[in-house]
Amino acid sequence: MNDLPNRARSISSLRDFLELLEDSGQAITWSDPVMPEPGVRNIAVAASRDANGAPAIVFDNITGYPGKRLAVGVHGSWDNIALLLGRPKGTTIRELFFEIAGRWGDQEAQISFVPEAQAPVHECRIEQDINLYDVLPVYRINEYDGGFYIGKASVASRDPLDPDNFGKQNVGIYRLQIQGPDSFTLMTIPSHDMGRQIMAAEREGVLLKIAVMLGNHPGLAVFAATPIGYEESEYSYASAMMGAPIRLTKSGNGIDILADSEIVIEAELQLGERELEGPFGEFPGSYSGVRKAPIFKVTAVSHRRDPIFENIYIGRGWTEHDTLIGLHTSAPIYAQLRQSFPEVTAVNALYQHGLTGIISVKNRMAGFAKTVALRALSTPHGVMYLKNLIMVDADVDPFDLNQVMWALSTRTRADDIIVLPNMPAVPIDPSAVVPGKGHRLIIDATSYLPPDPVGEAHLVTPPTGDEIDALSKRIREMQLGALS
Amino acid sequence: MTTTICGRCKSSGAVTDHQGRQDGAVVWTILRCPTCNFSWRDSEPARAIDPAVRSADFAVDAGDLQRYPKILQQ
Repeated sequence: MNDLPNRARSISSLRDFLELLEDSGQAITWSDPVMPEPGVRNIAVAASRDANGAPAIVFDNITGYPGKRLAVGVHGSWDNIALLLGRPKGTTIRELFFEIAGRWGDQEAQISFVPEAQAPVHECRIEQDINLYDVLPVYRINEYDGGFYIGKASVASRDPLDPDNFGKQNVGIYRLQIQGPDSFTLMTIPSHDMGRQIMAAEREGVLLKIAVMLGNHPGLAVFAATPIGYEESEYSYASAMMGAPIRLTKSGNGIDILADSEIVIEAELQLGERELEGPFGEFPGSYSGVRKAPIFKVTAVSHRRDPIFENIYIGRGWTEHDTLIGLHTSAPIYAQLRQSFPEVTAVNALYQHGLTGIISVKNRMAGFAKTVALRALSTPHGVMYLKNLIMVDADVDPFDLNQVMWALSTRTRADDIIVLPNMPAVPIDPSAVVPGKGHRLIIDATSYLPPDPVGEAHLVTPPTGDEIDALSKRIREMQLGALS
Repeated sequence: MTTTICGRCKSSGAVTDHQGRQDGAVVWTILRCPTCNFSWRDSEPARAIDPAVRSADFAVDAGDLQRYPKILQQ
């Protein structure tokens, strides 16, 4: 498998990626009969215990859904993310982070358009008697969810007030609750692109059409969840970050969609209408409340022959959600911070979409890390999500929690903590004082620079380098050899 | 057993949205409550769908639907 980078760049669909995963021992098929509840959930949760090596699981024998296929855990482990990025299994999280960070702004987008008649996604078309339950082998993701959720949908839409602008097309991941055979609610907030578009359409009384893509190019699922500017196209961004072409076509309702997706659901916003939605077990590991959310009516469904419905297990971590978005939450914060402060050496925002972040920085002067932390809070993602920030020196790997705990234990004074009360907060943070408003915490776990009188301790410097790596490998081999 | 009483808000009148079949026989039914929009499959464990044993923490008050906030208000 020396051609991993080329193989990763040649992926154009979920099917291609599943084949690559299978060839690498990272996808399995579950052919024993399984009940939708609680069987699918149990298996998905059991797999996600192994954040490093869990395989994707394709179910092809779900009771009551003969002939239908469901995939979970496609992005459910660091090994699967490594293969997507053209790196071997076993690549460390830190190496994957720098792989992503190194691609930032580095590549040109390669977008091609496929005529609708030739696009695999349109192989089968349903325009009458639409019943989403006929197409999708759905199941209750967490036991007190309010219904059957589509948890890994990439939703594409045009700006309702500027529909011809390619850059202003939005592609984002939103949770969808099926509300009867041909309707679903979509959960968003005003600061998300889709929230802006829904509010604009309702204010102006104009039609808002969307295309919900399921079972997509695995790069889009990663990059559509990344917070980028409103006028940046997620397709262009995903193509550039993958260093590979992306094939688009038109949905039946005129939106640019991926030509090789498994399923596309075309729908229209029902202006001004709201329906009860939720609860849903969300990424902080707690249920959202019940709210009244915008509702969409399905106008058509296109799908490939024998489509694969791709979904996600999300809930109390660690879950696929964390490996899906963790690195691509961290990398933009890193890039944005380095524009102001090149002293920043890495950003780990893997935890609960960055509710806790760890930033390593070369201190320029006493207290400098606190300044960098405040800048992090004003990055696009930091505004809502970065709740707890731990600042460490550049000699600490923020992806190695043992090292982070060492820094906290030895370099933190109780008065090195800043609490910023009554700040914006993501509404589903269960610790918020009221939804949408909460406190921020900065812990400076960096060492002391003048004029601090203490200075740095005389540190022990354990041996590192090739010799130690070779010894470590030999010990491991001897250990394995003792078993045989 | 298929019941049309909602496990979440205890309203009656649930509608059938879909039936799963295996070798021609119905193996489960998906129902939806028109009052609180709860959807369920009648084959799910009782603790998720049976109003007698389901956690009250996740009940919806059918008599006070106004209490649930509306998102994206102008």
